[in-house]
Order: sequence, then C-alpha cells, then structure tokens
Amino acid sequence: MNVVAKSTSLAPLLKSTTVISNGLQPVIGTGVVLKSKIVAKPGVSRLVSESLQETLITGSLRVSSGIGASLLATQRRLAHTDVQWPDFTDYRHNAVKDPTTKSKESAASRKSFTYIVTATTGVTTLYGVKTIVHDLVSSLSASADVLALAKIEVKLENIPEGKNAVFKWRGKPLFVRHRTQKEIDKEAQVSVSSLRDPQTDADRVKKSEWLVVLGVCTHLGCVPIANAGDFGGYYCPCHGSHYDASGRIRKGPAPLNLEVPPHEFVEGDILIVG
Amino acid sequence: MANFLYNVLFKRSSTFTVTILVGCFIFERGLDVITDKIFEQVNQGKLWKHIKHQYET
Repeated sequence: MNVVAKSTSLAPLLKSTTVISNGLQPVIGTGVVLKSKIVAKPGVSRLVSESLQETLITGSLRVSSGIGASLLATQRRLAHTDVQWPDFTDYRHNAVKDPTTKSKESAASRKSFTYIVTATTGVTTLYGVKTIVHDLVSSLSASADVLALAKIEVKLENIPEGKNAVFKWRGKPLFVRHRTQKEIDKEAQVSVSSLRDPQTDADRVKKSEWLVVLGVCTHLGCVPIANAGDFGGYYCPCHGSHYDASGRIRKGPAPLNLEVPPHEFVEGDILIVG
Repeated sequence: MANFLYNVLFKRSSTFTVTILVGCFIFERGLDVITDKIFEQVNQGKLWKHIKHQYET
C-alpha cells in the first residue's frame, strides 16, 4: 500500500473548480464526480524565510492511497544545518540593524522623508487641479464686459412705420420691422392650425408694432427680401420661401419660422437684442 | 524636528490630509506673490503703478 502524505492547507489553492448551488437546482447529479486532484508542489529553493516556510508541512495531514499514489509520493527531509541565508544588512536602516531595539522608536527618522515627498507631490497636484478647475468654471460664466459685446442697441425712432431695418448682430443680419396697424390685425387673424410651424403672432412679438427676427432663411440660410412675396412679409429669392409680416413660413421649402432672438424694449424707444 | 513632523502631522491620515490642504493654500499664496514680484521686476517702468505719479497729482 502506497501512502501519500500531503498538507491540507494547500487544498483550496490546488482546486481547479468550485461548485456553488444557486438554491434551485442541486449541485450533484451532473454525472461528474468532482474530486480535488492531489498535486505535489515543485521543489522550492530555500533562501529566505518565506520560501523556507513554504517547504514546511503545516496543518493537519491527510493520508490517501491508490494506484497513482506512488507516482505522486513526496517526502521532505529538512536539514536545517545547511540552509543558506542571504545577508540583507546593507539594505537595512541603521536604526533597525540591531534586532533587540524597538522599530517604533526610530519610525520618525525612517519614514519622515517618504511622507514629506508624498505631501509635496500632493500639494503641487492639488494646486494644479484647483487651477484647472477654477479656469474651467470661470470660462463657463462669461463676465459682464464679454456679454456686453454680444448685444446691440437699436434706436427705434429712426425706423418709420411700414419699413424694415437691417442690423448686424453676432455676425448675422437682424430685421427690425415697424409694422402698420393693418399688418398687425392681419397677422392676429391668421388661423394657427393652417400654419406649417404653428405659432401665434403674440408669441413672436413683445410689442405688436415691432417685429424682431433674424434675417436668415430657415431653408438654406439665404437673406430674405423684406416687403416682398405673396404674404407681404419676407421673400427668400434663393428657393422661393414666402414669410408673412410675423416672420412665419407660409409657402415654399423652408420648414420653420424666422428665428426670434432674445430681445427687450427699454425706456426711450431703445431695443436691446441679445 | 523630524519627530515633531512625523508624530503631529504625518502619522494619522487625517492630519496628513489637513497638512496637504493647508500646505496647498500656503503654496498658492507664495507662488502668486513670487510670480507677481518677478513680473513687476521684468516690466519695471511699464506698469501703471510705476508711471502713475506722472499723470496724477
């Protein structure tokens, strides 16, 4: 009878599969018998205390027998008298070379340098991160002088009734139209359900005699011609889109009404766009 | 000195974090002051504060 003596503390490491039941199906009954293989560890060169410990037989011993057992038989004879130990003295701090001293007492002198390096790196990193975040956040909220450049003021008293004035606003043409009472009444009576882009006239103007729209056709971006077209508002010469006196698309290829920019009327007949 | 630093500042993670945060604040102030000084030295005589006395009474 052959006998294999083996450390059971190695068993969980040598196991190739672990079977866990999910609670619905029993684990057994698959037809395969799961049995942990007995594998002998290759020889370890005993140089330092860790590798020396690996060669020791620890835990309870398990004895098994069988046909293959003789092939796996290992026996360890540990001759401690010829173990070679490397000398680490050169790598040790002077304070801990003597094994009888407490390492706690010399902790400050050994660890301070590492902590100072870590703290310095932390300080510079934190400073860099803070600067980047600060720059990003401050670029999100533009200051008042930057915002002021994006606005224009229009003196409304220079625009006679029935005329359409063109200004430049953020690189685009801006139409300011002084509408007649006749036009206002006409646009107010248009049935919203008949429109391609349904919007009432009241939604598009703040003061009914002033229409403020961007002079960019919503079809392909041409500049429409004022006081032209079938509906008396704007007419785009590129592909024949007709807009009414409220800037709404009535006929032609354009899909949307002329865009109304954010604007407000302040005292003294001044219009501020932006 | 090393003993004081280690025992008071570095030994606990909490005090170590506070050390880094306070150190960052001091570092930023110091860097700002030093770079401002260098800028003024390089641009000596060009800044408003250097020529202010010629225009204001």
